[in-house]
Amino acid sequence: MPIYRRTYRNYDGDPRRHFRWAIIVEQEIRVLLKSKVFLLFLSGTLIHFLLRLLQVVAFDFIMQDPNSPLRPFLVSLTAVVVNDETFFDFIRIQGPLVFVCLLFAGSGMICNDLRNHLTEIYFSKPLTWRDYALGKLMTLVFIGLVFTAVPAIFLTLLHNLMMPGLETIQATWWWPFSILGFSLIMVVPGALAVLASSSLLRSENYAGIMVFMLLLADSAMSGILAETLRRPGFLVLNYGIALNRVGEELFGITFHIVDVPWGQAAGLIAAVSALSLVILAQRVRRAEVPA
Amino acid sequence: MNGYDGTHATYIPTEGRGDRGHNAMAMIELQDLEVAYGDLKALDGVSCAIEGGAVGLLGPNGAGKSTLMKTLLGFNRAGRGTARLFGLDMPKHALEVRQQLGYMPEQEATSPKVSAVSFLTYVGRLFGMSRVDAMERTHEVLNYVGLGENRYRKMETYSTGMLQRVKLGQALVHDPKLLLLDEPTNGLDPDGRLEMLALIRQVAAGRGVTVLLSSHLLPDVQQVCERVLIINRGRIVRDGSIAELTAAREGQYEVRVRDNPGPFLAGIEAAGCTWRDEQNGSLVITTSDGEDPRFLFEIARAKGTHIRHFLPRRGSLAEAFLKALED
Repeated sequence: MPIYRRTYRNYDGDPRRHFRWAIIVEQEIRVLLKSKVFLLFLSGTLIHFLLRLLQVVAFDFIMQDPNSPLRPFLVSLTAVVVNDETFFDFIRIQGPLVFVCLLFAGSGMICNDLRNHLTEIYFSKPLTWRDYALGKLMTLVFIGLVFTAVPAIFLTLLHNLMMPGLETIQATWWWPFSILGFSLIMVVPGALAVLASSSLLRSENYAGIMVFMLLLADSAMSGILAETLRRPGFLVLNYGIALNRVGEELFGITFHIVDVPWGQAAGLIAAVSALSLVILAQRVRRAEVPA
Repeated sequence: MNGYDGTHATYIPTEGRGDRGHNAMAMIELQDLEVAYGDLKALDGVSCAIEGGAVGLLGPNGAGKSTLMKTLLGFNRAGRGTARLFGLDMPKHALEVRQQLGYMPEQEATSPKVSAVSFLTYVGRLFGMSRVDAMERTHEVLNYVGLGENRYRKMETYSTGMLQRVKLGQALVHDPKLLLLDEPTNGLDPDGRLEMLALIRQVAAGRGVTVLLSSHLLPDVQQVCERVLIINRGRIVRDGSIAELTAAREGQYEVRVRDNPGPFLAGIEAAGCTWRDEQNGSLVITTSDGEDPRFLFEIARAKGTHIRHFLPRRGSLAEAFLKALED
């Protein structure tokens, strides 16, 4: 058709003016769900979830049957008993998978837009750098929670539904909050670090490798300091240990995997988050306002 | 074409809005604008007003064209002066202005893993459209820019020309009143270039969109625009209509004569005129200012030849451009 005969209609709609970051979340998830690798990660999580589901259902059925020959055996098996540690362990074990998933989903989120000059197009629309950064962050937080808090809270609810009476609810009402808190502490700083790395580097591979190497270096450094100076307190500098320690505190678990002060552990996580946030904000703002 | 029924958004007929860009208020008003990257002044005291139509922004590389575009988008902060679009100060009202503005960047901008349909729908949604509206407009605009069935392919498989069309499409998807185009014909083959220019001309003339076209390719600007801003070293050195800049030169004529022009040229030299060969069979003859050119025909007759072509010589945009840079 010749150009002079082509046309398009005028648009006179009332455009949405708020929560534009939610559109970024939707688009990023849409793109991620088309990735086979991401779906593989999701299915990996599903296996762990199904095992935990089996544990909760089996435990609840057996505990309700006073004649079950398995009951005394089950009570003695601490690994199978459903209590606050079950959910702490569930999220803790999900941790590495969440970390890999955040790296996969987030390491290219900003650097690819910068490399492909897409930020110029996005910011020429009524979109602020805050909307943009928040959209990317919320995408990763959403993904992280899907791997951690969502299945764990589902299992908690199932456990409460299957157990008779109100005793279980009264004893476990705070679990969903602990689950959500631990999940957020695991996901948000990780997401911020991955996005900060993505905004600093031009390649998603380098951005992913940088975060991974920083984590390895941090782990090695804290171990070396703790061993050479004979001061186990330095282990709090190990990000993984710090994360678990804060999680233990949130779940009120008294047996600690590594006994370090939880306040210091929380301080380390807050410092990592703050640094990542500053880098992310500066880099994304510079993409919108270069001069 | 009749309007859309308004289920998701109200569409009004195209024909009814043909003159929407040409109201009394200037679309763009720049007053003593200065933008610097560190110590380097990219724009230095730029002042102009654009009311509507298609305006070309010409200048050599590094003159400040892209900086001016980005300042209009609110990407750059002015060190001095003001930039107002639709009567709103930039960058203070950047979000309101960007609702009515489309921008096609110079650099290749692509989202390799998604299709053009998905990309434009996303861009439309960033503008604030509902998903259904964004999808409908995406298809209309991709038809308009001539992407055809290729719209469903991933953008990593697109040629440069197709990517340029996608870039134009994303600038049009929300039906802007002002379109900023930064080197829109970059990397296009001759056919693609002509079609891109025809599209831009159609957007400007047929749809009443004000177009600011930045280019260092003079023929592109000449084909599309009515007015030209020539920018050099961050300053606007010439601002005028193409007709003015290429107006007939007084005392200069483009002449072609039959047979050997030697005796004729000797005759006009004797009459005090100068000439030069344009290498395309034409001679440019310069007479004294204000002299009636009919004496050239008399000289030709006297020298036994005929003038086959005679036109007052118009200046070219290239000459105006070079002169503006020299000044």
